[in-house]
Amino acid sequence: MNARWLAGKVGAALLTLAFVLVFNFFLFRGLGDPTTQLARLPQSSPEEIEQLKRDYGLDKPLVGQFADYVGDTLTFDLGISQRTREPVWEEIKNAIPWTLLLVGAGTLFATLLGAWMGVVAATKRGKRTDTGFLGFSLFTYAAPEYWIGIILILVFAVAVPIFPAGQQVTPGVEFSNWLSEAFDVADHLVLPAIAMTLLLLGQYFLIMRSSMVDVLTEDFITVKRATGLPWHRVVSKHAVPNALLPLVTIAAIQFGAVAGGAITIETIFSWPGLGELSFNAINDKDFPMLQGTFLVFSAGVILANLIADCLYFFLDPRVQTR
Amino acid sequence: MTGARARELLFGTWRGRFGLSVLALFILMAIFGSAIAPYDPEASSLDVLQPPSRDHLLGTTESGADVLSQLLAGARISIVVGFAAAIISAVIGAAVGLFSGYFGGWTDRILDALDNWFLVIPTLPLMVVLSRILNPSLGVLILVIGITSWAGTGRIVRSQVLTLRERSFVERARALGASHWYIIRTHIFPNALPLIFANTVLIVAVAILSEAALSFLGLGDPTQISWGTMLENAFAAGAPSAEAWWYVIPPGLCITLVVLSVAMLGYLFEEYVNPRLLEESFESTA
Amino acid sequence: MRLTRLVASTVVLVAVVATGIGLGSQKAAAQDTGNDVLRIGWAQDPKTLNPFTGVNEEEYTVWALTWELLLNFDPETLGPSPGIAESWEVSEDRKTVTFELIRGAKWSDGRPITSADVKWSLEVLGSNGLLFSAYTGNVTSIKTPDKYTVIVETSKPDARIVGGLWIYILPKHIWGKVPVKELTSTYQPEVPMVGSGPYIVTEFERGRITTMEPNPEWRGDPPAFEEIEFIRYGSQDAVERALDLGEIDFIPEVTAATFDRIGEKEGIETVKAPTYAFTELAFNLCSEQNCPDAKFNPAVQDKTLRQAIAYSIDRERNNEIANQGTAFVAHGLLPSFYKAFFEIPEQDYPYDPELANQLLDDAGWELNDDGIREKDGMVASFDLYVRSEAPADVQQAKLIAEQTQEIGVEFNVQAVSTDKLTELTIRKVDGKPAPEFDTFIWGWGGDPYDPSFLLSLMTTDEIGASSDAFYSNPEYDRLFEEQTTLFDAEERKAVIQEMIAILQEDVPYIVLTEDPYLEAYNSDSLGEVTRLCPAETGTAFCQQVSYEPLLTLQPGTGSAASETVSGVPGGVVAIGAAVVAVAAFLFGRARGRRETEPLEVEA
Repeated sequence: MNARWLAGKVGAALLTLAFVLVFNFFLFRGLGDPTTQLARLPQSSPEEIEQLKRDYGLDKPLVGQFADYVGDTLTFDLGISQRTREPVWEEIKNAIPWTLLLVGAGTLFATLLGAWMGVVAATKRGKRTDTGFLGFSLFTYAAPEYWIGIILILVFAVAVPIFPAGQQVTPGVEFSNWLSEAFDVADHLVLPAIAMTLLLLGQYFLIMRSSMVDVLTEDFITVKRATGLPWHRVVSKHAVPNALLPLVTIAAIQFGAVAGGAITIETIFSWPGLGELSFNAINDKDFPMLQGTFLVFSAGVILANLIADCLYFFLDPRVQTR
Repeated sequence: MTGARARELLFGTWRGRFGLSVLALFILMAIFGSAIAPYDPEASSLDVLQPPSRDHLLGTTESGADVLSQLLAGARISIVVGFAAAIISAVIGAAVGLFSGYFGGWTDRILDALDNWFLVIPTLPLMVVLSRILNPSLGVLILVIGITSWAGTGRIVRSQVLTLRERSFVERARALGASHWYIIRTHIFPNALPLIFANTVLIVAVAILSEAALSFLGLGDPTQISWGTMLENAFAAGAPSAEAWWYVIPPGLCITLVVLSVAMLGYLFEEYVNPRLLEESFESTA
Repeated sequence: MRLTRLVASTVVLVAVVATGIGLGSQKAAAQDTGNDVLRIGWAQDPKTLNPFTGVNEEEYTVWALTWELLLNFDPETLGPSPGIAESWEVSEDRKTVTFELIRGAKWSDGRPITSADVKWSLEVLGSNGLLFSAYTGNVTSIKTPDKYTVIVETSKPDARIVGGLWIYILPKHIWGKVPVKELTSTYQPEVPMVGSGPYIVTEFERGRITTMEPNPEWRGDPPAFEEIEFIRYGSQDAVERALDLGEIDFIPEVTAATFDRIGEKEGIETVKAPTYAFTELAFNLCSEQNCPDAKFNPAVQDKTLRQAIAYSIDRERNNEIANQGTAFVAHGLLPSFYKAFFEIPEQDYPYDPELANQLLDDAGWELNDDGIREKDGMVASFDLYVRSEAPADVQQAKLIAEQTQEIGVEFNVQAVSTDKLTELTIRKVDGKPAPEFDTFIWGWGGDPYDPSFLLSLMTTDEIGASSDAFYSNPEYDRLFEEQTTLFDAEERKAVIQEMIAILQEDVPYIVLTEDPYLEAYNSDSLGEVTRLCPAETGTAFCQQVSYEPLLTLQPGTGSAASETVSGVPGGVVAIGAAVVAVAAFLFGRARGRRETEPLEVEA
């Protein structure tokens, strides 16, 4: 692996992250004053407001505040949530695994299903299956994922109650061992994961399909066919591996959509991840939390992009020979 | 590229026909919806969460309001915000792409970095943060969606401008002493316009989805009903538990149909502008 | 293609199996016999157990069970009754109250409850707790001559010292050890919490469950339930569904929209009771002297006009429509919750648009060409602000605007954000209040038993602070001062009634509805409940105000559903099958590849 290339990519990622910090800081300090919230509490005296201002360091000049902000962020001090009075980072730390679980499940199934659908559609280009899949993926792209989620709840959790309608575990229940708790979580994961999968499916399918089509029309495939290799062997052994490559990089573009989907889907299913934290922060106007979740979402997406870049580097032989 | 091909794409393919007719239907709904609504969309009554009946063709909401009336009135917000935000986004994206591609150098580096940043940053969280800070209203909604959705257009325009810049007619114009502004205005911009237009149509689809998502999260205009706020209210009122499918399905379906029709038209325009791009993907299914 | 057929058939198989098993084995209920647990469900749980920083209702619910007040609220009358103090004596000049504490009372950790705890709590929590710092404003000293006596001295007679001192008595030996700075910021008490009430918190998993068990040192009879679980659900909707499914026994908060529907379900009973909170239509009555830069339509300060408006609003009908009949029609500033002091005022403004028109005609308000009344250059056309986050309020505003049209008064309903309305009401110019509104709809909540806070909203002193109608009347101010000094309920009621009469005449507020408590419970598992706080017209749970009603709840015949989950949910089978299918697919591919290897001889 070319170290300079890697350093360049990491540097770019860090720079992007730095801009996020700057943006985050000036947006919130410039436009939103955290202490106005507390001014509206009954019996909150002006002295208390002043004290809060001092605690938040809002009485320093802007540059000083920014330096504080950067320093704090690097030590994972993201402030105190106005709603829960707990450190923002604590809440976020507990929420991240749940979001990763949801997003991971969705991405996994969307990739598998999308890849399979893409292969099928490309090999049956122009026929009904292809049209059907295309129509289906266009529909899942146009349909809001939270709408799909609500319908899933209505059908599979209320009307025909197979799955639970929300949260990550059954409330108020003691589990005899970690295995039954894991099963309970999996049970709760099904519907939100389906919603997340459908959100991402369309794009993965389209990319896989078009890259398969590209590959299938290349010369070497024609040659393989001419040697008498069975068609399905040609597809699975030669076409598919080559078509998989763009999937990795284009998937990176999806990461932003994933963050958005996490917010809405977690809200619907009361899934205790970053998305639900964001939603609560929106309603409570909890600016420190909002700032924190935005930062973590951005960092997550930047990191995912970096990983995708590295994966692409490994998988694409053409890049490696540079 | 002629009008004949455009007509063939728009009216000859089922995608074109579907896209045009559905979009036209919803635009009509946006204009006339409030006028033909059988009830005042916000009028509550005692018939709470009732299934469809003769009086209420799509049933009632949790405050007894008529779902159909809300649906008809809600079209306006989605369409207006979608188009307005897309236009803002197009203007910003086109400007950034043009200046970045044409002038190169530091202008390009800075603008391109800005473009990349907006591309990487997760869109919905960004929109959420901006909306929350600025206090939600219709104007804020349009502004926020507009200034967060331009990056895709910017990138496409930039690459197009880079190609155009090297063409011979531009070099000749420069040799003749034409100013940058003149060149951009008469040579670059008109040639980039079709691409900008095609991309903007797709941005409309994205903008409509964004408005719906923001409204669903409670960041929409609180004084207006849109399809997104209908879904927000339905969910908050426990419509899934009450199996109030008449309240849940219509608004989402409308969003889906509008986005579908706009997206189809958008892909058609892209095909028209750059046939090679998507020929293999879609032409065979025309 | 063979591959497609394999995948498709696997998916179908998986779906069928999952559905079958999912439907069949839902949570296999393991009956917990002999363990009487009261399960309460809510959508919001306490964010913290620390009374210095907590601000939410749910937190109060937990505190009210854990700690007592110096004098508790009597659940039947809401008047003062023994708490930590078993008796009290008010001095002649009413500026000194001497409390005798219960002897031998212990904290749940065995330490004795003494006057030191009372003094510390009243002083430290009373000056630093966000929600507890309004009660000891008049206190000049708190003396503790011995372990069981507390003497509170005030600068002037303050009736709140008896029966209105809503400051929890905390164990000094625990809380006193923590620096105040920490108490008011990040301190989280250790669990199990030490308390004096019937239950103490033994488990606090924020976002999931709060568990309380009987206090071993509780003075009264052992409570009927061995455990109370407050279970947090993801949404209000989920809570109501859980009650329906029998997973929980009691919901302290039901949404207005679902209240009727949930009450119709078998095995579920609902309770509706007025609270000490109301919703009102407020007028901008700020005088030139107090608010030289205020912006509003001067017509709003015409008393006859306001009275006519009051007659033209049909409060009953509006309540039916806007609140689906779940709220209570209000009669004056003092909610009916204050049983000891409340009476329906003589001037109650029943719905009478004819009388309203008559009043306006007689006073010289003439209808202009647009159908709006005018007089002396003033036009009866007003802005009516309402918070967009409160759809019921918005609905009321619209109904009011419709109704006042009948008497020639025009209201322009403006739905704005809470922030915006706050801005308009607290607007100041050169340090003086300069409110910018004609009318608005909003609400207030008071304290149980002691009506002083709500009554204070109309005093001149509160202009620039809590007063948002900016009403000023020296006679009212005088009476207000007087009632704060009267310890005798009868005497106090007479004075309060005089005050209400003044307000009903001047109409700074038209109080529209009293907010309700809406509760629902599982009648199979709880049987009969007693309504208290106050008796008969109160609620089944008395949340935050008194723990007594909780002690009256008895486990019924049925019992709530399972404790431990033993079945394997159907969804997991689907996942397992999918994994198997993918494995089969991959395995199939690998085998296929081996088969074609020999053909790879290339030229």
